Amino acid sequence: MGARTLRHTLALLAAATLTVTTVSGCGSADAVEASSAGNELAGAKFVIGSKDFTENIMLGQITVQLLKAHGAEVVDKTNLGGTAPNRKALESGSIDMYWDYSGTGWIEHLKNATPIQDSAEQFKATAAADLEKNKIQWIGPTPLNNTYALAIRSEKAKELGVKTISDVVELSKSKPEEVTLCIETEFSTRDDGLPGLSKAYGMTIPKDRISLLDTGVVYTETDKGQTCNFGEVFTTDGRIAALDLTVLQDDKHFFPSYNAAVTLRQETYQKHPALEKVLQPVIDKLDDATMQKLNARVDVDGEEPGKVSADWLDKSGFLGSGS
Amino acid sequence: MTAETVAVGRVRPAGGALGLRHLITPLAVCAALAALYAWVGTLELDSIERRSLNRTVILTKAVEHIQLTLVATALVLVIAIPLGIVASRARNRLITPVILTAANLGQAIPCIGLLVLCTFLMGVGFQTALVGLVAYAVLPVLRNTMIGVQQVDPTLIEAARGMGMTRGQILRRVELKLAVPAILAGLRTALVLTVGVATLGAFVAAGGFGELIINGLKLNRMPVTVVGAVLTACIAFAVDWLGALAENLLKPRGM
Repeated sequence: MGARTLRHTLALLAAATLTVTTVSGCGSADAVEASSAGNELAGAKFVIGSKDFTENIMLGQITVQLLKAHGAEVVDKTNLGGTAPNRKALESGSIDMYWDYSGTGWIEHLKNATPIQDSAEQFKATAAADLEKNKIQWIGPTPLNNTYALAIRSEKAKELGVKTISDVVELSKSKPEEVTLCIETEFSTRDDGLPGLSKAYGMTIPKDRISLLDTGVVYTETDKGQTCNFGEVFTTDGRIAALDLTVLQDDKHFFPSYNAAVTLRQETYQKHPALEKVLQPVIDKLDDATMQKLNARVDVDGEEPGKVSADWLDKSGFLGSGS
Repeated sequence: MTAETVAVGRVRPAGGALGLRHLITPLAVCAALAALYAWVGTLELDSIERRSLNRTVILTKAVEHIQLTLVATALVLVIAIPLGIVASRARNRLITPVILTAANLGQAIPCIGLLVLCTFLMGVGFQTALVGLVAYAVLPVLRNTMIGVQQVDPTLIEAARGMGMTRGQILRRVELKLAVPAILAGLRTALVLTVGVATLGAFVAAGGFGELIINGLKLNRMPVTVVGAVLTACIAFAVDWLGALAENLLKPRGM
């Protein structure tokens, strides 16, 4: 514990030194606000929320720091809760924006049961319907697609010779006892979850080989391989690499798209047209590999989401000091 | 106020037979279930809701939930009553704080944290959920057993001793009998707590109505959450009612 605290302190000191060096040229006390990123949003004030899992907190933090760098005053309300509290806060005006996913918008907010397979179409349909019905604007989408996948620990994947979900279907016929599955409760009832997957691939897994668990427990149990060989994971999760899990290829392209986007009320969007110009370049850079690395720094190495996102923005030149 | 009236404070003095007031809870539970059924019937359910709100799922979840509750309560009885007796004996004064601290810890640790910790040691499933539930419900039964036994009027024990009873006989025939109402009151509290905490079993593959509640919340399907929550509440009321009946039947005559 002591060593860790020390390392943390050193890291903070290093960050502080860096900050001072970057700032000194601009003559302000605050690195972020003083950067040369531009002041398109000067005078604007935003309250930014986020959901309660690592990736969404990271995306929230990225927005907080980015908008600050462009001159806006920002109230940080990231890690606000699940999807429902964020959406309600957005609609009621308690927050001005948070990141959501096209699949989530389509299924949860717009209450469609069947997703659209093509990711661009899914996003377009979600953004259009949400704007029309609820006056919620979507800025995006990111290339990152935080969708569902099945994963298995890598040595077992080799042993069983599975690379794709179709291989799992074959396995369920030849060695049904090996096809044990750990999933979350919601995955068991969603059309884009197990019921749809089973239908699309023509696979039936008996109930006693399926365990319903909390998200975090799914990863650890899939890694241990006692309760189940296969686990439901999210494609951008940092734990996939850290636990050495192999993600099975969705060879029939069943899982829908969960591209991320900033959601905000139409009136906020219209009042601050510069938002799109500021956000879009960052959105374009957020792909699966980038997000997995950022998520892993928080979930695996235990770094602070705020620091990781500041680092990334800075290195990618979005805070104005990269050029 | 004598010692006995303190110990039996929660129990109403009415006679042993089933009275009208014993029918209020089952009637209210039935009314709630009927209202719920009628309400869900008026809704147009989408495919996600239909997968959660059908007879097979609800029956399975009910069985899982009740199993968890009953097995956990049985274990609590076996663990907490003997411990409570041990902790109430004057000559065990030194270990009493240890027992109480352990029981307090069980209730103070966030249950979900305890469950997830247990998965590292025991994997997931029914047994893991049981550990969490038992840890959570031991305290009320243990406490009430202690209080019940300690509050027996010392003159009664003196009298029993005068009649030539051994220590064991005094414990069984006098102290425990007089402590029954307090123990049962603790058990009722434990049962109701257990029904609520059993919803967390959904996080560790133990099933129960928690699955419906969590799923409905995550997917913003209000009917699923409401059905899960109302059914959990109905089980809680039903077991509390059974507890009340047991109190009525088991309490020593003449009290």
